[in-house]
Amino acid sequence: MFKLVFKNLISHPIRSGITAVSVGVALFLICLLTSIVTTLQSGLEAASATRLVVMSSISLFVDIPLSYQERIAKVDGIKNIVKWQWFGGYYQDQKNFFAQFAVDPDRMFEVYPEVKVDEATKQKFLTQRNACIVGSQLAAEFPEWVETGKIPITGALFPHPSGAAWDFELAGVYRSEAANFDNRTLFFRWDLFEETLKGEGEAPGVGVYVMNVEPGADIERMRAEIEGMFENGPATVRCDTESEFTRQFISMLGDIPMFLSWIGAGVLVAILLGAINAMLMAGREQTHDVGILKALGFTDGAAFGLLITQSLILCVFGGVLGIALAAALEAPITLALGAQFPGFFIKDSTYLAAAAVSLVVGLAAGAVPAWTALRVNCVEALRAKGA
Amino acid sequence: MSIPLSYNLRSLFVRKSATALTVLGIGATVAIFAGVLALQQGFVTMLSGKGREDVAVFLRPGATGETDSQFRRDLGLKLIKQTPEIEQGPGGPLASMECYFAALKPRMDGGSVNVPMRGVQPTTFEIREGEIRIVEGRNFTPGADEVIVGRKLTDRIQNCRVGDVLQLNTTPYKVVGVFDHDGGFASEVWGDLDRFLATLDRYGPNRVIAKLSPGTVIGDPEAEGGAAPGSLSARLADDTEVPAKVMSEKQFLLSQTRMLGGVLSFLGLALASVMGIGAVLTAINTMLAAISARTSEIGILLSIGYRPFPIFIAFFLESIVLCLLGGVAGCLMALPFNGIETGTMNGNTFSEVAFAFRVDAQVLTQAVIFSLVLGVLGGLWPALRACRMTPTQALRRA
Repeated sequence: MFKLVFKNLISHPIRSGITAVSVGVALFLICLLTSIVTTLQSGLEAASATRLVVMSSISLFVDIPLSYQERIAKVDGIKNIVKWQWFGGYYQDQKNFFAQFAVDPDRMFEVYPEVKVDEATKQKFLTQRNACIVGSQLAAEFPEWVETGKIPITGALFPHPSGAAWDFELAGVYRSEAANFDNRTLFFRWDLFEETLKGEGEAPGVGVYVMNVEPGADIERMRAEIEGMFENGPATVRCDTESEFTRQFISMLGDIPMFLSWIGAGVLVAILLGAINAMLMAGREQTHDVGILKALGFTDGAAFGLLITQSLILCVFGGVLGIALAAALEAPITLALGAQFPGFFIKDSTYLAAAAVSLVVGLAAGAVPAWTALRVNCVEALRAKGA
Repeated sequence: MSIPLSYNLRSLFVRKSATALTVLGIGATVAIFAGVLALQQGFVTMLSGKGREDVAVFLRPGATGETDSQFRRDLGLKLIKQTPEIEQGPGGPLASMECYFAALKPRMDGGSVNVPMRGVQPTTFEIREGEIRIVEGRNFTPGADEVIVGRKLTDRIQNCRVGDVLQLNTTPYKVVGVFDHDGGFASEVWGDLDRFLATLDRYGPNRVIAKLSPGTVIGDPEAEGGAAPGSLSARLADDTEVPAKVMSEKQFLLSQTRMLGGVLSFLGLALASVMGIGAVLTAINTMLAAISARTSEIGILLSIGYRPFPIFIAFFLESIVLCLLGGVAGCLMALPFNGIETGTMNGNTFSEVAFAFRVDAQVLTQAVIFSLVLGVLGGLWPALRACRMTPTQALRRA
């Protein structure tokens, strides 16, 4: 019986191959689309509920005063506080987009233990004023930085008083193991930032303060206390846990996740129709065979199984193909999406889901002709022209 | 002698279920392609189609957009005073300083977005005479804690109806009117420049806009080799007191939308090529089955004297017709999306832009061309196989 299934698949190598490949292509696409959504969510899952972020109540566009740091640090339960300021510069060309932040070097590693650097890098970053650290993905993109140790960044938002680029010296490369902390950012020292801009109009403010808290601290109380402290200005703030802060970014993307789901649904419909079409063709051609099987005394169930097994084999084969394609292309795609979408990765559960989808498509596509084969009268089937 | 097309059309009709499934499958692919195109089209027409050639945008040199540009207030004023190209209105030069930032506001359907806020001076409304229309309530009073909101925000963002209050830092702003604009301003909140600056504790505007006298050559600072010599842009780039990056508003909007526009184009292209492969394979499958079911007919055609070429053409056309039907089905599926409003984050400004799907003639044409390409790619090989059969082979196989 199984041999017949196999023979039937082999007898139309082109059609079988094409069907499997088209299922594979579709599942590849579904893997990618799903991964875009899951990558966004993984940042959320990895975000810590025990780190707090203080930002302006208006938005991230608006700075908060430097003087707040000391006052926030005094709140009971705060372990460390680090300030971040968006630098908004670029390397050589505006198209080379990546984030740069001025931070407190000593606090940075305390607040973010998941950011790993070697000891030499850490020491250099802590002691040398124009030192910076860059993420591993960024270092791979611009190998000349590692070679020369120099990184000139044009300050679009904060032009250097000299009119030239800001010259940073590479202390080393960091590697983050957490999904919410990408490896495509440059960090430099706040003191260099502040002193360079001294006397250049408005003194720079702080973008956000990030704090880690003592174990067992009452986060809700701390949030209320911090927000209350600055209630009457000069700048009101909001204090969120890191996970809520991250969620903000995701909701800013608006309807994009919904569009991706729509596209995925369209892809699914298209492969389902294609697979049903292919299986209907196979079913039509094998009506004669089904007649013979039934005449020989095989049950209706066997006839049903004949077609559904073919369909399943084709689609599972396609599924494996699609998953293999996605797995093989994951690294180049991550690199290609680098600037717009750092940290892209395909979750294992996405592969599992893709495998499940291929099974379901196989069952659904096979069910239509198999159902016909189940019901067909043996005499009628034998009368049909064989392939 | 050619084979009449009706032969192929009829055979498409005879194989109803296969034809319908293929048409729908290709239709789904074309619909998605058209949907992404419509999104891009909506975005591009909303923003870049609307910029004015006679309005100049002045940014700080080196700035890439409004968010990273800043002028000191006195220097902004000086800039306006020292630029004779600016047209004179009844109350002085037609120039206005504007500040721009975003405020995180809750959406109606949950989550929150960065809503663009713009502080303007009264001359802005003179420059934008006819462009900005108050559709509900009234304009804000200069110097008062009042704002007007763009029409596209009222149904998307909370507290954006006339009579509501938008809180910014410690200042409550009263919403006194709703305005409409054919371009991007319809998703912004506008208020008084000085009130906004005070609220933010900032000293100066982000940009200056001005209506220029007719005949002024603005120049494009982002052009290869810099702005044309003698243009306003070239002159101000090297100004010793208030250097500025100047471009026409049209040019400015183009440069601001490049990133999101590029992302959407890339998405459309990537999806079209990957899904296109799937659709071409489906078409090949259908055509192969159609041909193998008609092997005997091909044998007969060949043996009564038809040359292989007309047979090739006949099946090739059949594939094209099949895919064109799919293209039409796809366009029909995409049409209901026309006009649906949506919003996403513009990577250039990190704030939300609202725009509508735009399924226009251009999008539909591109979708049909796409289906035509699918038909050509899907029909080529099966039709070649069909016409290469020898009559005896074909008749025997049947």
